Amino acid sequence: MSEIVRLQLIGLGVMGLGILALLFIRGTFIRVTGFVTIILGLFTLVSLSIPQMASLPPVEEKFDIATVKTPTDLASIGQKVFFSKGQCALCHTIGPSESARCPDLKGIGAKLSREFLYESLTEPQAYIYQDYRVEGLAKEYPATMPYINKNPIGLSRNEILAVIAFLQQMSGEPISIAVSELAAPEQAPAVPVQKAAESVPVAVAQVH
Amino acid sequence: MQHQGGWIQRLLQVCRDHGGTLSMLAIAAGLFSLPVLAFGADAAPPAPTEYRDVPYVGARNVIWVIAQLHLLLAGFVLGVPLFAWVCEIVGWKGGEKRYDKLAKEFTKLLTSAYSTTALFGGILLFLLIGFYPKLMNYLSDIFFPSFIVYCILFLAETATLYLYWYGWDTMQEGGKKTFHIFLGFMLNFFAFFIMIIPNSWATFQSSPVVLAEGSDIARAWAATWNPTWWPVNIHRIIANVVLGGYICGAYAGIRYLSSKTAEERSHYDWMGYVGNFIGVFGLLSLPFAGYWLMREIYQYNQQMGITLMGGFLSWLFILQAMLIGVLFLGSNYYFWIGMTYRIPGSDIKYKKQMLAMLIALLVCLGIWMTPHSLVASMEEARKMGGSHHPLLGVFGVMSAKMTVANLMILVTFMSFIMYWRAGKQETVGWAKIAKIFMGFILAVSAIVVIVLGVWGYFVPAIIRINYFSTSQVLVVLAVLLTITPLTSILLKTAKVTTEMNWGVMPPRAGYSLVLNAIMIILLMTLMGYARSSSRVHWHVYGVLRDTSQYAYSPALGYASGIMALCTFLFCMIVAFIFWVATMGDKAKGPAVSSKAALPQGLPAMAGASNALDEPNGRKL
Repeated sequence: MSEIVRLQLIGLGVMGLGILALLFIRGTFIRVTGFVTIILGLFTLVSLSIPQMASLPPVEEKFDIATVKTPTDLASIGQKVFFSKGQCALCHTIGPSESARCPDLKGIGAKLSREFLYESLTEPQAYIYQDYRVEGLAKEYPATMPYINKNPIGLSRNEILAVIAFLQQMSGEPISIAVSELAAPEQAPAVPVQKAAESVPVAVAQVH
Repeated sequence: MQHQGGWIQRLLQVCRDHGGTLSMLAIAAGLFSLPVLAFGADAAPPAPTEYRDVPYVGARNVIWVIAQLHLLLAGFVLGVPLFAWVCEIVGWKGGEKRYDKLAKEFTKLLTSAYSTTALFGGILLFLLIGFYPKLMNYLSDIFFPSFIVYCILFLAETATLYLYWYGWDTMQEGGKKTFHIFLGFMLNFFAFFIMIIPNSWATFQSSPVVLAEGSDIARAWAATWNPTWWPVNIHRIIANVVLGGYICGAYAGIRYLSSKTAEERSHYDWMGYVGNFIGVFGLLSLPFAGYWLMREIYQYNQQMGITLMGGFLSWLFILQAMLIGVLFLGSNYYFWIGMTYRIPGSDIKYKKQMLAMLIALLVCLGIWMTPHSLVASMEEARKMGGSHHPLLGVFGVMSAKMTVANLMILVTFMSFIMYWRAGKQETVGWAKIAKIFMGFILAVSAIVVIVLGVWGYFVPAIIRINYFSTSQVLVVLAVLLTITPLTSILLKTAKVTTEMNWGVMPPRAGYSLVLNAIMIILLMTLMGYARSSSRVHWHVYGVLRDTSQYAYSPALGYASGIMALCTFLFCMIVAFIFWVATMGDKAKGPAVSSKAALPQGLPAMAGASNALDEPNGRKL
């Protein structure tokens, strides 16, 4: 029996108890308690009838350099990172979309050099526009584009290079990143949690 | 423990029996073993414990339930003094003794409710230290100065509460009454700060800021002043008033259902009316505070905003819409049956309007509950051309939802005004012009809200969020702030054409009050889950990662089970508190107030009358 079925049965049981209390018991408090359990059971059943999505912590994926033989392999890993750990697709689209929250990345690998792309990912406030489609004053907390190499996303250098390779490949450009540029795992450590306090996306507060 | 004590005593006895020989040997062995300590020092110290667990149940579930109960109780304990204080002022200024009685009745609950809340707070603290030492170390390091302020505030709040409650009867006249009102103000003043300090700890977890070097106080202050602190403070204080009002209503509803005498029925009917009134009053402004909070979250971190509104929590907002919709319907329904039963003739006069408002509310609720992406099979999705339905998909976006939420507020406000005006005839000369003006601005505001909502489809999201949605909110707020005082002035001199009949409501009125209370409690538990889950796998977002086995957020179905459990337990605790607090009254029997008449002046709270204060003034 799945967990959902078990919870549905509990919800139904609770509702049944409530209905019995309303039908057969005359004491006001018990009747009201029965009414409350009917509402709670109904709420649980409705909640169980909608799509059940849990939020799992991201798997610590290992970037195995040994599996990368060609730049195409690198772009393939970059594609996975783009749509998963990197969370790029949460805001960016590839191709025009009405619901796009951030710039369309179609052809971006042809428009921008790899150095500029790297800087845009690791120092997003250095050059790119702070706000997409907005005119007027800058926002109070201008960290719209997160620092990709810092928490909470925290991509390693190798992973960022893989994403750039993917963007170049997707734009029909030759991949300018050589496999030999990838750093060995010990040279590209993960972002330590303790260091994250110094990073943004957390906003900077003034000490009053 | 007894067994251990016996063992120690036996050991000491053996030592004494052998003339200290054994003791000497033990000391010698200790001295010889000293070098071992040096070897031990070289070994790596054991890693500090980061998490502890509870078998079968799970540490996270235990913390979840206790924290939620503490939060609900805190909301109740902070909402009730506000509610009681307002009632006391209304009774003091308006001369209606029953408001003073109501305020006292609820303040009486505070002493037991306050200790229960503190008890759950203490349990929560011990459990957090035990189960999440890593997190607690981190937070204590930052917030320690505010812990001290929190303790001092607690002492001040406790002392003020004792004075406020125990001094109620002796501070009824003249300057003493004024001082008592001042005590009520101080009670709420301290309570407000008691609320916002823990808010800073919780909001820091969601929206941490970089802590520059500085003194402990400077760091604590910087962490406190994080981007979502004030939006949460405002949202919670309004929510506490709503919770206090609806719980008062539910209590009155239950007492009404079990009333034996006509006098009791009248009193609890009236109390239910006041509770619902205060609940609705807060409810009307609550969505605005929620909108501000969401906006700040987006401003702070777009990813977090998307996780909430467009990510795995998006379906949560469909449930939220359902609960708020039922709450609006329940509150309106209570108004409508109130008009039907308490004010003879109103049911015929307002029948069409009530039907129109019911249809409007149901249509708005339907739109609000329409999800952006439908649950569809592959074949159905292919036929629709994607996961968005060609027609219903239009209603699944924020532009539509903001519009209907604002319309629901306007409809509920109309209901409220209708109830307020029912059974009264305005006497001022400009009444007709005022009524036309009020009708005009209501109609114009509804049109403006709809036009902005439709227009919102054709502009970029950021323009809609920054300008259109904000304008919708401001238009509705302006309506509330214009019509409420205008109606109050109109009715101040109005002639009562039909006296209110208290105590004639059908039993379903009592159940509708209970329903409203359950809805607001469920909403608070649901949004507590949303706030916590928006941090995903972080204790402190982006800074301190949750590395425990519970670093995931469970699906809504499972979470709703915990929410239902918390709601049920909270209801039982509150019922127990009410039962304990009213035990003395039952022993004493119905008390007759011997207070002198208080000065007249203020109009009765929306729709109420002074009939109950007058001898034999009650109509049945």
